[in-house]
Amino acid sequence: MDRQGRDLAQTVWTRLDRKAGAITELTIRQLRHRMSTWVVLGVGTLLILMLLAFYVDSVRDGFKPIDNDGDSVDNDEDGYPFGQERRYGTSDWNPREYPGSGYYVQDGEISWNDDARVHSGNHTWRGATGIFTPVWLDSSYEGDRWSGIIDYDSIEVCPDEGDFATDWWIEWGTACSEENGDLVVHSLEFRGEGRLEVTEDWGAEWGHITDVYDVEPQPASDFIDEDDIDWDGNILRESQGYDDDGDCRRVGWLSDDFWFEKDTNRNNIDCDVRWILGSDGETIVFIQADEYVDEDPDDVRLAGEGIHRGFIIGTAKIAFIMILSIFLPLFLALGLVRDETENGTLHYLLSKPIHRGEFITYRLLGYVIVAGGFVMALAMIMALVTSLMGPGDSLIRLRDIAMWMGIGFATVLALTAYGAIFNTLGLVSSKYGVYIALIVGVYEFIMAVLTLFGASLVPVLSVSHWTLQLVDSLVLIIWPDTLMMELQANAFGLSTGIDLFWNPPIHTLGTDNPFISAIISVVVLIFITVFMIWFGQRQFSRSEIM
Amino acid sequence: MNSPSKTPAVLIDQCSKWYGQVIGLNNVSLAIDGGVTGILGPNGAGKSTLFKLLMGRLKPSSGSVRLFGIDPWDSTAPYRRVGYVAETERMYDWMTGHDFVTTLARLHGMTRDEASSRAEHVLDFVGLADVQHKELGKYSKGMRQRVKIAHALVHDPDLIILDEPLHGCDPIARTSIMSVIRDLGAQGKTVLISSHILEEIERITEQIVILHNGRLLALGNLHAIRDLLDKHPHRILIRCDDPRALAESFIENDAVYGVVFRSDEHLEIMTNDLSAAHSILPRVIVNSGVKVHTIENPDDNLDALLGYLVGGDS
Repeated sequence: MDRQGRDLAQTVWTRLDRKAGAITELTIRQLRHRMSTWVVLGVGTLLILMLLAFYVDSVRDGFKPIDNDGDSVDNDEDGYPFGQERRYGTSDWNPREYPGSGYYVQDGEISWNDDARVHSGNHTWRGATGIFTPVWLDSSYEGDRWSGIIDYDSIEVCPDEGDFATDWWIEWGTACSEENGDLVVHSLEFRGEGRLEVTEDWGAEWGHITDVYDVEPQPASDFIDEDDIDWDGNILRESQGYDDDGDCRRVGWLSDDFWFEKDTNRNNIDCDVRWILGSDGETIVFIQADEYVDEDPDDVRLAGEGIHRGFIIGTAKIAFIMILSIFLPLFLALGLVRDETENGTLHYLLSKPIHRGEFITYRLLGYVIVAGGFVMALAMIMALVTSLMGPGDSLIRLRDIAMWMGIGFATVLALTAYGAIFNTLGLVSSKYGVYIALIVGVYEFIMAVLTLFGASLVPVLSVSHWTLQLVDSLVLIIWPDTLMMELQANAFGLSTGIDLFWNPPIHTLGTDNPFISAIISVVVLIFITVFMIWFGQRQFSRSEIM
Repeated sequence: MNSPSKTPAVLIDQCSKWYGQVIGLNNVSLAIDGGVTGILGPNGAGKSTLFKLLMGRLKPSSGSVRLFGIDPWDSTAPYRRVGYVAETERMYDWMTGHDFVTTLARLHGMTRDEASSRAEHVLDFVGLADVQHKELGKYSKGMRQRVKIAHALVHDPDLIILDEPLHGCDPIARTSIMSVIRDLGAQGKTVLISSHILEEIERITEQIVILHNGRLLALGNLHAIRDLLDKHPHRILIRCDDPRALAESFIENDAVYGVVFRSDEHLEIMTNDLSAAHSILPRVIVNSGVKVHTIENPDDNLDALLGYLVGGDS
């Protein structure tokens, strides 16, 4: 209590509050009256709204299921998708081969060095070079040059001078017709009855197609999202996964490739997925699937969620941290004290019983309220839109809101640190401060890009690195399954934006605990801010004001 | 810390301030407590340097500065009892006068309400009550100066420092500001006011400090200093209808040692005793019957005073 009977709170703290309130309020009002403030806030808002429009547009289109293993396509357009043709052992590159189209059995051949050069009969002829005198030809058995099957539409008239193979040749895989109705063929497949005279030093074989039966073509949709990830959540069970579509187990396949490897992950269990536990005994750190197991998961559930998170993380890192948190302070904080000195209005403020150091702190506080309030408002808008429109059955995604508040918090920390740095630069050199600040801005941007690409050592000397690190940590804290999603995306070939914008936090002191990296990041950012404020105060308290 | 009652408001001890090679203040010692003191000096004499040292903006190169016994470079404590009107002309033009004073009052730790009612009080004191809710950008030069004075008075300080408060003001504003300053002196405050115009200071106070080239040239009662000056050659410039007739009447007088005809209308009288010359002036003019338009004392200004003081020094 002092002499007037007031307690300490009345004399010291409330007076401090009042001074802080006055300077903070003055700063906010000053910023409000500056054109540049509105310009930079307007540009920031526009940027975020554009990203939001992009997001809303992509959400409205919906997340379409993706055929991750590519077995729904019908390459030879015979009506049977690749997946179905594989099961029946037919080629998806040959329209004559399809499930139920039967297979060829050889009955005989004339080799290049056989003496007898003529054979007659009703056959399917293959690789035949010579002159064929037909009784009849199966015009429905037709292909093209590339399949080696005769193409009746492209048969031309043979040259009328001399003989085939001595005086003239035709191209490989083609045929020509003689005046007497004979067909000259070169390495060609066709079906019909007649007499084939095989050219010297060339060969031919003949046989028949057997086991022809009708198979109903399956729709392509049967081969999309048909092999989902089978994981029961029990991290202690390492071997999981089930080959739902049977393309690893090959159950009921008509022909099984003898070289096919069913245990590519080498755990002596065919057609499974290994979910490997980390040393902490709590998290999956690696996923290794046998080929063709769980390879076409439900995209709407997995990729949709991944793309949604990828958008949020990407927007947070690039728009909020790399653009807003660097540009806002560049425009709003650089002149917080410097402009007052240059205008001479500082004399009014410093003739009051307020320490210069306090003055800097309260000025920064005013700036943080304006810039931080703006960023939090933008984050809130983003939170509302993404939490309502994001994938999932629930009406609102509460974790999205938590994530955006975390992003807002990280951005405010960055804004404060940059504000302290730029304001101090303005104090150290009112003439060159703005140029140094620009260089610092570019440097911070480059460090942020390096951090995005996963660099861990060089960018440590930057604010942006620690802010991005904080976001990475918050992602794991709020969405603990993100790491798993990224592992799954890599293991099962899913494309999400997560791996593009997110890396697991590095600075966890070896614990892999995101809380530790979050706390370290916050402490480092606060340390940088406090150090820069202290340095600015020291500089300002010692400088003479003309 | 000394008890404030025992220490003078302003104590400057052998204080010098160098700006690189240029000297701003040269070994000045000064103690001021109570009343209105005019700090006189031409531009560049060191007035603003002196005030900035007092307000802790500058650090003395040597010597010491104390406000109520405290070094203002190290501590902001004295500012609780000091009001400072800086020379700067820039203000927050988007603020109203009331806003401006209220905001700065809050820096003294007042609540918003206290600050607001104090602001109203001081704005009324400086005669701006009716325009206090107009934006500063719309204020005239004189009004702006008075708002600056109001902000310096808002916490009822014991020492008020005014750096060229009359600079650039119109005559009406000047008169009003002078009366405010005289009132403050009458209230027992210690007031320091700087100016480079002798006449301005003369109308406010007799207690003056004269600075020249950073040095303390004279200190004391303005009239005593002027009396010394009066014994030195002076000119009186009279604009009248018939300078020659008037000259004849003066020539006979002992106080006048010469006359010069500057033009058909102007007569310049040379005297060694300005007060004696002025005492006979009315009688001589009446007797001569010449119509006189103006009487000026071109040597009765700061330059002349300085010229005399510097001359007397050498």
